[in-house]
Amino acid sequence: MNFEQLLLTVLTYGCLYSVMTVCLNLQYARGGMINFGTVAYFAAGAYAYAIFTQEPPQGLDQYLFGFNAPWWIGFIAAGVASLLFAVITGWPTLRLRGEYLALTTFAFAEVLHSFLLNERRIGNGSVGLSNVDRPDFSVIGLSENYAFVLAAVLLLILTSLLCRRILASPYGRAVDAVRNDEVAAEAIGKDVHRLRFEIFVISAIPIGFAGALYAMITTLVSPDLFTAEVTFFVWIALVLGGEHTIKGVILGTLALVTFEEVVRSLHFETVRAAEIAASVEHMMTGVIFVMILRWQPFTRFATRGREA
Amino acid sequence: MEPKPKRSILLKGLIASTALVVTSLAAAAEEVTVGVLVPLTGELGEFGKIVAGGVELGANEINAAGGTSCGNIRLVVADTGGNPEVGIREASKMIESENAVAVLGPTSGVMVALVDLAKRTKTVIMSPYAGTITLNELGGDFVYRTVSSDLGDGAASGLWLKERGYKSVAFLVQNEESTISPAQVARTTLEDAGIELTDFIVYNPGQPSYQAELISVLANEPDAIYLAGGQESGVTVIKEATSGGFEGEWLFTADLAVPEIFDAAGADLLNGRAYVEFADADNSLPEYKAFEALHQEKAGGDPGPFAANSYDMIKLVALSLEASGVCSGEGINSVIRDVSDGGETVSSFAEGKAALAEGKDINYEGASGPLVFDPSGTVAGAYTIQKAEGGEWVNEKFYPASAFE
Repeated sequence: MNFEQLLLTVLTYGCLYSVMTVCLNLQYARGGMINFGTVAYFAAGAYAYAIFTQEPPQGLDQYLFGFNAPWWIGFIAAGVASLLFAVITGWPTLRLRGEYLALTTFAFAEVLHSFLLNERRIGNGSVGLSNVDRPDFSVIGLSENYAFVLAAVLLLILTSLLCRRILASPYGRAVDAVRNDEVAAEAIGKDVHRLRFEIFVISAIPIGFAGALYAMITTLVSPDLFTAEVTFFVWIALVLGGEHTIKGVILGTLALVTFEEVVRSLHFETVRAAEIAASVEHMMTGVIFVMILRWQPFTRFATRGREA
Repeated sequence: MEPKPKRSILLKGLIASTALVVTSLAAAAEEVTVGVLVPLTGELGEFGKIVAGGVELGANEINAAGGTSCGNIRLVVADTGGNPEVGIREASKMIESENAVAVLGPTSGVMVALVDLAKRTKTVIMSPYAGTITLNELGGDFVYRTVSSDLGDGAASGLWLKERGYKSVAFLVQNEESTISPAQVARTTLEDAGIELTDFIVYNPGQPSYQAELISVLANEPDAIYLAGGQESGVTVIKEATSGGFEGEWLFTADLAVPEIFDAAGADLLNGRAYVEFADADNSLPEYKAFEALHQEKAGGDPGPFAANSYDMIKLVALSLEASGVCSGEGINSVIRDVSDGGETVSSFAEGKAALAEGKDINYEGASGPLVFDPSGTVAGAYTIQKAEGGEWVNEKFYPASAFE
């Protein structure tokens, strides 16, 4: 195993997914909103980036828009697209609570998936948009692998700082108050609907940026990449890391990605061995999940300072 | 209250897994690594196993013949589950950590996602079944396939529908790239030939019924229905169309070219009136027969779909390494077109190696047919039309690659 390669992959994808977990943590653990449609905001960002940076359609392409814009415009567009999608979905749904909100957000994500699959004029339908533009990193003298790690780490740090800042402020305490007791919060003059809506929308923006970064790394956006599996992955990471602390959820996500990578870095020289490993991986994943949930190492680590 | 023992369990687990990793890394020197990146799990898992098996069969034969000048072929096999993101992660590891000179076997979606990586890292990627039309534009340099483009399937279907002399045809197409692109080509052929296209309906799979889609199709009473769908949706469509009064003929695409379809849909509904089109190796070629015999002997049983195309991939890689004398993706890329086009015809690695050693130019004729790459790195395909008769598919017509020139 090449440890450098392993580290690069874990950091790139780990930080990318951590951005989503941290935002989900803000929505769920602090805002009390169960969002089962995380992937939709991620997809909105990725598609917006691809559409803005893509060249106009030619040949067999079926999409209508390709603006051939520089990467940074695409990146901003990704954040805006995710924000807009959060406004559109958040405004009518945030009156719902608990599992009703979970089901509705899940449904919205499925609607977006189905829309992207069937409306070929947006993103080429099931074909997707390939060869997505990447920024030229040679100007800062970094190889692409390192540049993407750096970008992912930076995005995660900024997202974490933003979340911490929000939650440590009086505004954050108001959010906590709404989660703990809506009636009491309303009684002391907090606008419950507005607070929930704001947290929902703010936390969608970094997810959109993560989507753009993801599109740059994979150089492909297609409905296949944005299935409910992404949402579940992020939720599992959140549960493993233990909700409530930013450090914990990041650790949980990194651990999940590391586990996947370590298992996959065992390469097999025969087809039979690879087949067996592919099946065993799922069983092992289950066992390790049970172990982590039983002993909660990440939650303990993240809250260690506080208990002391 | 007893953290110590728990930590030691975790620690032991960690040590054990590290030990496992380290032992698996003890690879021998004088080898050249080729990655096999296929879906072993998921929807396309069955195809992936056939492809990996085909590559393995070829690699064993190459190593038995003394290996390449870069050493014996060492395969590293990884499962993508058909997911492009996993594909990128696995391929990066194969290239960066294992120094793979080529990555063989990705499916369409993964292949498209890998184009950029292949060109950046100067590693050859090759697929035996990625028919996606996206590669018609992206392929060529470092990106190859030993199967024809989906457009070829469409051309073959169109040709058959035209030759069959139908006056009107309805199209029912599952909403997938691999089914829509060929359907569009077939549609153009029909339009050019002046055949009436009664409907062109794209449907989403996974529905309990397709009555809604069939209403207009059946009302127009076409002579034939072109059905490009998966096994699940296809069976339901066949049953519902028949019970809705459809008495014309069918043309199916590759997904339905399996014997199970007769049990699932009912042989009575298909016999004598259903045809199926799929890309096929020319079974009459001596190279294919030799491969079939080898497969029977080493793997047991007849080769599955794309097995011959997969077997050819590793042969091309090995012969390119031999011909270029450079043990890298760039070396392969620089000569891969030459080893299968022009020169002395060879049909096995040993023959090719000997001819190259004598300084000759070689033309490798594959088990799946001639492997002349066009500018997009795609080979021309041959297609078979089979007819449903007595509860099985029997050969009706073979279109060699030359039929489409």
